[in-house]
Order: sequence, then structure tokens, then C-alpha cells
Amino acid sequence: MMMGGGPGRHGNLFQDEARKPAAASATLARFWIYFKRYGIVLLAVLVLIVASTYMQVLTPNLTGQVVDCYLTPATQKLFSAAAPAGIPGATGITATNCWYAQLGAQATAQDYLAGLGGLILLIAGLAVGSALLTGLTFYLMNYTGQSVLRNLRVAVFDHIHRLSLGYFSKHEAGDVMTRVTMDADTVQQAISFPLVSLLQGVLLIVWVAFTMLTTSPVYAVISLLVTPLMFFATTWFSDQARKAFRTVRSAVGDVNANLQESFAAVREAQAFNREAENILNFNESNAASRDASIRATAFTSALSPTLEALGYVSMAIVAGVGGLLLLSRQNLLGETMSLGLIIAFLGYTQRFNQPISQISVMWTNIQSAIAGAERIFGLLDTAPDLVDKPGAIPMPSIRGRVEMQNVSAEYEPGECVLCDLNLVAEPGQMVAIVGPTGAGKTTIANLIPRFYDVTAGAVKIDGVDVRDVTAASLRAQIGVVLQDPFLFSDTVAANIRYGKPGATDAEVIAAAKLARADTFIERLPEGYHTKLGERGGGLSQGQRQLISIARAALANPRILILDEATSSVDTRTERLIQAALEKLLHGRTSFVIAHRLSTIRNADQVLVLNAGQIIERGKHEELLAQGGFYHDLYMSQFRRDPDFSGNGGAPQPVPAMAGGK
Amino acid sequence: MAVQTVASPPRPRGRSGASGDPRVLLRAIRYVGHYRWIAFLAYGSLFFATAAQLMVPQLIQTIIDTVVQAFVAAQILSLPANAQAAAAQSMGKTIADLQTTQSNLTNAILAAMLAILGFAIVRALFSFSQTYNAERVSQYMAYEFRRDLFAKIQRLSFSYHDQNQTGQLMIRATDDVEKLRLFIGQGLVIALQSLVLLVGTLVILWFTNRALTLVVLPILPLALVVFMVFGALTQPLFRQVQIRISALNTVLQENLAGFKVVKSFAREPQEHARFERAADGLLAQQLRVARTFSFLMPVIFLIANLGQAAVMYFGGQQIIGGTLTLGEWQKFSLYLIYVFFPMGQLGFIINLMSQAAASAQRIFEILDTKNQVEDKPGALDLTAVQGHVQFDNVTFRYFKGGEPVLSRVSFDAPAGQTVALLGATGSGKTTIINLLPRFYDATEGRVLIDRHDVRDVTVESLRSHIGIVLQETTLFTGTIRDNIAFGKPNASMDAVTAAAQAAAAHDFIMEFPEGYNTPVGERGSTLSGGQKQRIAIARALLLNPRILILDDSTSSVDLTTEYRIQKALDQLMAGRTSFVIAQRISTVLNADQILVLDKGEVVARGTHEELLESSEIYAEIYTSQLMGDKEFATPEMMKESVGVAI
Repeated sequence: MMMGGGPGRHGNLFQDEARKPAAASATLARFWIYFKRYGIVLLAVLVLIVASTYMQVLTPNLTGQVVDCYLTPATQKLFSAAAPAGIPGATGITATNCWYAQLGAQATAQDYLAGLGGLILLIAGLAVGSALLTGLTFYLMNYTGQSVLRNLRVAVFDHIHRLSLGYFSKHEAGDVMTRVTMDADTVQQAISFPLVSLLQGVLLIVWVAFTMLTTSPVYAVISLLVTPLMFFATTWFSDQARKAFRTVRSAVGDVNANLQESFAAVREAQAFNREAENILNFNESNAASRDASIRATAFTSALSPTLEALGYVSMAIVAGVGGLLLLSRQNLLGETMSLGLIIAFLGYTQRFNQPISQISVMWTNIQSAIAGAERIFGLLDTAPDLVDKPGAIPMPSIRGRVEMQNVSAEYEPGECVLCDLNLVAEPGQMVAIVGPTGAGKTTIANLIPRFYDVTAGAVKIDGVDVRDVTAASLRAQIGVVLQDPFLFSDTVAANIRYGKPGATDAEVIAAAKLARADTFIERLPEGYHTKLGERGGGLSQGQRQLISIARAALANPRILILDEATSSVDTRTERLIQAALEKLLHGRTSFVIAHRLSTIRNADQVLVLNAGQIIERGKHEELLAQGGFYHDLYMSQFRRDPDFSGNGGAPQPVPAMAGGK
Repeated sequence: MAVQTVASPPRPRGRSGASGDPRVLLRAIRYVGHYRWIAFLAYGSLFFATAAQLMVPQLIQTIIDTVVQAFVAAQILSLPANAQAAAAQSMGKTIADLQTTQSNLTNAILAAMLAILGFAIVRALFSFSQTYNAERVSQYMAYEFRRDLFAKIQRLSFSYHDQNQTGQLMIRATDDVEKLRLFIGQGLVIALQSLVLLVGTLVILWFTNRALTLVVLPILPLALVVFMVFGALTQPLFRQVQIRISALNTVLQENLAGFKVVKSFAREPQEHARFERAADGLLAQQLRVARTFSFLMPVIFLIANLGQAAVMYFGGQQIIGGTLTLGEWQKFSLYLIYVFFPMGQLGFIINLMSQAAASAQRIFEILDTKNQVEDKPGALDLTAVQGHVQFDNVTFRYFKGGEPVLSRVSFDAPAGQTVALLGATGSGKTTIINLLPRFYDATEGRVLIDRHDVRDVTVESLRSHIGIVLQETTLFTGTIRDNIAFGKPNASMDAVTAAAQAAAAHDFIMEFPEGYNTPVGERGSTLSGGQKQRIAIARALLLNPRILILDDSTSSVDLTTEYRIQKALDQLMAGRTSFVIAQRISTVLNADQILVLDKGEVVARGTHEELLESSEIYAEIYTSQLMGDKEFATPEMMKESVGVAI
């Protein structure tokens, strides 16, 4: 079980979502470190993109040539056929950028057609080539992006394991999970398609703009007049949409939380006649989510049409201004307007606007991807507060002497949960820890395997400070059995073997027998090879507990820590568990957070904990005789235990007892 | 957590496969009709927006043709005077014509520009209205589906919930609804738009240039096939990606939830390897997707580009032949984009359709489920209950032909009695208490309260007289007050406080800074097990029910708390007909009647003293289950444990 997480933390998560990256350039720079490894691939991608972009830019140029070199002359011929040959100016206006020799005035329609065919073949060839390049680019970029993401995922996973329990007492595991998966997902969505389109788009935009500007600077500037408007529209709409989506996310979060809670507790709702009330409540959040979505949709629906309209406007400008200039036969600051130029610029504008629209539509995604990456890096930046000392040695084989010297522990600075505490457990001893909730029992249990570090004092095992050895070697020799056992969605055998990878089947079965789990395991559909559901689904709580005991038994630790379960298992199973635990404890140093009288009676020493301090210690009988805190605790808690009224005769109903507090 | 149901019935529900019956989609689409006006706006806008889109190439042609005419006119007029007439004549025009053309042309070009501007605006407005309103309709529909699903699921009886996990139901109300919404809100609209655009374009092309259209037509079926193959190939790939993502997430999830376990067994290296394997698996699948896309996507563009090249060539041929103008040619290639673009969209949507149909099927499956526990027509309210409970030959099976969980159980509990239920797990204790509030209906026999068959009265009135406290307590997000008033939301603060006091909860509640207004985290995370249980007791007390169902065990709480809880339970039971799943000795000692159950049958009944004398099975259960807490670690047992090889 996690250390108690704070209340009502869920929900914060969604406010983080859909936000603008705080330091986009820093995040991107950091991303670059991951991409660096694939530098050669990226270089290839860059070359390919340049090549395919070149082809894309070339096509409108060729189309322009089709017009200027073949179609216009051919058209002119139709009417100038009647005019005397060789009149200057008849073909003089056409462009001079024809790649192939211009045809003379004598050229026949056949010649024009042949020339046209040649250019078209070239265009078709370019299309094929550009398809090949695009495919290759796309694959390589995907390969890089997905590999980077994979490495990032593994880095996050490894980092999570470097964090201490302390981190998870401040952050709920569910929140961390959602963050990691959701953020990885947003990055994922931006890393394959959009990244290629973005790169290609940017290059295309730059290139087309460059081509236009070098072809005809003034005409180019006129053609690009609406571009700033497009940028403005994109930023504005994206900003609005992002804000609106923030509301949507939290509204959807409400709906999901409501669904989850209501469906999981549908039986309670029916038992208490709450159906109508619940339905009403749900519909409130349901409607809120609908309305928020509709509002957000208004912005996203407006972006594309706006950009499209602006695209048309720029085409109108290109055709109109070009046409007017051509008509008035005016030079545009010394440049001659030609029909081909107009057609070519129409093509350029289209090719210029298209990636802008594409990027605009992706803009929100890109931003949330950067923000997602930022959060992932943020997690990676969380400094692990529990690291092996430089030069830490592996823990030598443990004999089992545990000592706490003047130990203080704080979760919040200044508030000690354990305050200047001393204890010694000799090898093989069983130590029972009792005390009211919040006294610090679990904290003691957490300090021994170094799940937390002490803030003062030292925890020593066989005289070795736990901070001087590697955590892994220490923990490998300490077993922990939790009140709420966690099992993995794997086979029963694999779950038991978790305690000792590489254990033989015989060892696994022996451990199960010791834990008295073999009987029920053999009755499972596939025995030891039965695959368990998530968190050991399909087994009862008691059965899970038995498997977790078998797991600990197989690990054969020298020190055992257990939180005694009195949880929801029927009495018979509880006896089984109890018996299994007794066997497991034997011969090991053990710390038991005790809930049962029998445990306390068998303990070699009982530590009575209150407010972070051991206020009494000794054996059960001694403590009882002292007539102090333990006595009161005992009188209020254990008196009802049938044992108390002596060993003979039927127990009597319990009289009300004045409590310890 | 919830009212427990005995060992979940085995029958797995037949999951509907990946693809659904397209007819179900029609049923879903009919929901659009509920929002006629918005739908009308959306689809009306669609036609206008598409029409405007179809006009644009026409306008561009006009502008180009105008420019060309002007250009030609200017050329001719610049010829030597003697050649002018001849040239003009060859075009069938007089010089005067050309001169007027030239002067009018400036205006014509300006007019064409303005027209494009106007159309751009109109098109933008309608296309916005189309998307926005379609989205609105779909959101309203999703709202309706979720509302209906929620209401239905809230009321479906326990037997339904036994077979359907929360997670599954969540997916119905979220993912499936969203898939259906996307299809109806976007897919359907885009499909219609594509169709209109495609047909409109083809008609225009056909009437403007039949020869060129014939060049384009053969490419269409080819493109459609490619698009559909594309979709068909990628869908299963994406499904695989999803599967691998969830495999990866499972590893992550387990490492987070089982953080302490991983650490305490120092299994980080193995877990790292496991995660890496999952990440590699995902990567491999992503690259498989990438390969498919890297091949198919360029192919699609290639087809479109080659189509353009073909039109360019054949169009050029016509221009050279004098049968096509430059403007028409340019227009044609613009229209061509309108052909390929919708084709791509259609291919994509056809693939979405099968998914949406499957989702619709799963949604309607729930909406169409017949509730097994429903009020009889004309059922009366159960009022003024005394609390006399009878079971008359009750047999219960979870499903037809299954093993009976209860067989022919009869007993009579006069008002105010405490009945203790005793038996092993699976003996039928929980079933008995589930039949009382009609969480299930008896298969045979009758359950009577004050001599009314529970099936003859309204479910709501019946349940309002029954209070339930179970071992594991589910609390809800909200304040402590809300949780105590869960069954009676309008209860006064005094009533709530009184209930809390009786349940020994008042004191700890007051210790919170916000008292009764302290928010209870998800699943009661701010409260300890014992505190939750006492709130559950207060919750039942507030209802002041005549009949009480409870489980007297206490969950993982420290011993002081356990004691307090049991005191509160005793308080709760006083003066009510109580059914207690007995886990402690005092309960059976105080019970007016003990029912000992074994394999669904009552094998012994009576008071503690009577049973101790007469029933062997009782004596055995009594010693093993209730007295069990006693002696564990006998020295013999300790010795026994050493022999195991570990």
C-alpha cells in the first residue's frame, strides 16, 4: 500500500493539460539530446526532404514552362498565322526560362505537342521520384521518432524506480501513471506524421518563398500579403481552442470520475434508492462536458475555413494583380509579367498556403506535445532522494541484528513522525509493534529496507548503516509482506517466483506448501500456471495474501517485515494465513505491525509506539504488569478476546469497557 | 466495496466482435432526428459550402481567361495596322471588338477578384456552420447516449452487474459513445460532403470537357480501391498498436501500484527488462505501421499527381488544337483536386463505419437489456412496515439451469428479531440478504415482508425500509455530510449529527478542521477503514430502517476502533429486524435465531444454546470460525515449519 496520499489531489492533472509549453526552446533542445543518437538518419532525412521539396517546387515551374514555352506560342500561332511571318513581338513576350530550345515560328502543332509531352513526362517522373523520396523520408523519420520515444519511455520508467516511496506519498501512483501515459501519448501523436509534415512544410514554405522572391520580388511580396493574416489567425484560434479545451478536459474528467464511481458502486446506489439522484448528478456533468465541447469546437471549426478563405484571397490577389499588370503591359519595377509567371505563381501560392494550413491545424497538437515532453522531462528532473552512496558496497550476508540509533524521520520538515527512537532486535527475534493509528508503526517498517532515509540517527543492520550499502543488495535480504498484497498479472508460479528469479518449480511448490497456498492453487483451472488478472484478479484477498507469503518465503530473507492483516478474509482463511506467517517468521528477525493478541504474546519484545516514540517496551506480561499505556490499550482492545477470560468455559458477552483514551 | 455477491457466476458474456451490423448504425443515425434544426443547419450549410467550393475553380478560370483575352487583344492591337484586321478576323472578331474588350477587361478582372473574395467569405461561413453544427448535433447525441446508458445501468439489477465489470461499462459510456459520435458528427458529414463534391465535380467536368473527363474517369476506381486497401490494411495494424500500448501500460501500472513490492524484492533489473521488452514490442509495431504508411501514402499522392500530369498533357493537346482555353485548362486541374480529395476521405470513412457500427451495437445492447428486477405494473408502495420477514421455500439460481445457490430455504423472522447467518463462504448467506431488498428475484418460492411478496411492491419503497451495512464500505466523493445523507439527501443537519453520534462517528468527524464538510476523497481515501465503516453505519442509521442487513466483521482497523465499531453496530440493531452475517461471538450469543447454512440449505436453526446441544455442524463452525482467534503458534506448529526447503 502506498503511504497515505493527500486528499482530493485528482483533478490537478487535467488543469495541466492542454497548456502552452513554458519553455519550448529549452524542451526542444533537450529533445535534441535524444535525437542526436540518430544524427546520421536525421541527416539522410534532411537530404531527402530537401530533394523532395526541390521536386515539389520544380513542378509549378515546369507547369509555367508548359504554358510559356508551348501553350502560349501555340495559341498565338492560331491567330498570328494570318499575319506576315517574322513580325517582331509575336512571340517575344514569352518567358525566357524554357529549359528546352524554344520552337521557332515555323513550329507545327505537332512540334508543340511533342515539346509538351516531354515536359509532362518530366513532371510525371518528378512525381514518381518525389513519391519514392517521401516514402523513404517518412519511414526514416518515423524510425527516429519512435525510437526516441521508446528510449524516453524507458528512461522515465527507470527514473520512476529511482524515486523513493516519499515521492509516491506526495504524488498518487494513479496520477503519475496517467501523466506518463497521456504525455507519452501526446508526444507520440506529434512525433510521427506531424513531425515529417512540419519539417517538410517549413522547408517548403521557405523554399517556395525564396523561389518566388528570386523570380519576381515584388510580385512575390504581393502574393504573400495574406500570410501574416494566416499566422495571426492560427495563433489566435489555437490559443482560444487551447483555453477552451482545458475546460473540456476537466469536464470530461468529471464525467469519467462520475461514471467510474457510480458504476463501481451501483449496488450501493440501489441499496439506498439513490438511482434518481445519481442520474440527475451525472446529467449535470454530462451536460457541462457537452457544452464545453461545443464551445471548444467553435474555435476548431473556424480555423480551417478561415485559412481556406485566406488561401482563396491570396489566389485572387495573385491572379488579379498579375492579370491587371499584364493587361496594362506595365513592368513591375522592371520585371516583365508573363502569363506563365501568373500560372506559376498561382501554383506557388497554393504550395505555400497548403503547408501553412497543415501546420496550423496541427499547431495545438504540436504545442501540447511540447508541453507533454516538458512534463516528462520535469519528471525526469525530479532528483531521486534515495541514491546509493558513491562506492556503496553490497550488503554482506545478513545475520539479522537490527538497530535504530536516535532515529528521527520526517515526511514534512519539522514534523517528526519518529522522534529520536532507539531499538535493537537480535537475530531471530520477533518484534511486535503496537500503537494507535498514526503512531509511526509503518514508518519503522519502511526505514529498515531503506524505503525512506532517516532525517537523523542511523538504521544499522549487523552494525552496517543501511545508507552505506547498495539498496538492492539490502532489500534482497529483507522480506516485506503487506497488508494488501500486490500481485502481478502473470501466472501464479511467476508471482511466487518473483521472490527469487530462477527458482525451480520444486522450490516454488515448496514455498507454496509452506504458505499453505498449495491446496487452493492446485484447484485453480491450470494450477500453478493459471494466469491471474490485473492485481491478482480472480483470487480472493486471502488467497492473494497466501501467495504473497509464498513469494516472501521463496525469497528466504533474513529479516522479515509484515503488516499483519486482519482484513476482509473469512475467519478460516485468516487462520490459514496466520499459520503460514508463523512458519515464515520462524528463525528470522521479524518486525510485525501487530493486530492480534497471539502475535503480541509470542513476540520477543513488544514496542508500544505513541506519537513517534517508543513509550514502553518489553514482553507482553511485563508490560501488562506495568499498568501503563499498554495496559490501557490492552484493556480496551483485547479484553474481548476470548483468550482473556481464561482458557476454559464459554466466553461471556463483553461488557463495555472504559477505553484507553 | 459493494454489497457482496457470492462467487461471481461463471457465464462470460458474449462480447460482440469487432464489426457490427450496419443496420444498427441506421438506428443510431435516427438520433440525429432529435436535433432537427441543428442538423438542418449543418446539412444545409454543407450544400452551400460545397457549392461555393465548386464555384472557385470556375472563378479562377474566369480571371485567367479574362487575362488571356486581354493579353491576346493587346498583342493584336500592337501589330502593324495592316496585320491587325487579319489577326482579329482569324479570331472572329473586329478591331473595335478588341478595343472595347481591352478597356472592359480591367473591370472584368476586378469583378472576378471581388467575386472570389465574396465566395471565399461565403464558403468560409458555410463551411464553419457545417462543421460547427455537425459537431453540436454529435455532442447532443453523445450526451443523450451517455444519459440513457447511465440511467439504464444505474437501474439494472445485480445479476447484470455480476456479469459486467465496471471497466467494461465505462468503455461503453466513454469510448463507444465517442466512436459513434465521431462517426455521426464528422464521418457522416464528411462522407456526404465528399459525395456531393465528387458528384458535383464530375458533373461539371463532364459538361465542360467530356474528352478530358474521360481521361480522368479510369483513375477513379483505381484510387478508390487503393484508398480502401489502405484503410483495410492499417486498421488492424492500429488495433495491434493499441494492444501493445496497453501491454506497456500494464507493466508501468504494475510497477507503480506494486512499487513497494518491486523495491522490496529488488527486482528493478527484471522489471526494467520487462518494460523494455514491452517498449520494443510497441516500437516494432509502430514501425510496421510506418512501413505500411511509407508505402501507401506516397502511392496515393502519386496517383493524384499522375492524374494531374495526364490532364496536363491531354489538356495541353486540346489547347494546341484550339479547343480549350488556358483558363479552362487551369480550372480543370483545380477540379481534379476536388476529385481525389473526397475519394481519399470516402475510403477512410468506409473503414470507420464498421468500427462505429460495432460501437453502436454494444451501446444498444445495453439499452435493450431487459432489467430482471422491475416494478410490476400497478405495484403499490410498501408503507408502514413492521419488519416481519419470511422466506417461503426460496430457491435461487444465478441463471437458468445453473446450480441452485439456495434451495428451498424457509424461515420466519418476526419483527424486531435478530437473525444470525452462519456458514462457510459460498453457503448462501449473502444470497439470502440479497434477496430481501430484491437485488435479485427468487427463482422459486417467495420472500415476504409483513406478508407482502417483495415482487408485488415498488422496489423503491421496499428498499427505503431496509438498511445495509457491509464490511467493506464504499464512500463517495463529496463531504462527510453528503455521505451520511447518502440515502436521504434532504436530511436535516440535526438528523445527520444524531446519526453520526449514534454511530460513534461524531467525535472523529469533529476533529477534522472542516467537520461535517470535510471532503471525502475518491473512495473515501481521506478516512481510515474504521472511520469509513462508522460513516456507513451512520448512513444506515439515518434511514431509520425497519429491517437491517449487516456484516458484523470489521475490516483492517486497530483494536480500539474495532471495539467502537461493534458498539455502534449493537446500537444500530436495537429494535430492528436484523440479518447479520455473523463473524463474532457476541452476535450469535445475542441472536434470537441462528440459521446455519451449508451449500444453500439451512442445515440447523435455533438459539446458541439449542444449537450447541443439537447441532454438530454448529459446534464445529462455532469453534473453528468464531473461536478461531485463539491459539495459533503452538510450539508444535513452530517446529513443523522448519522442514521446508527454502
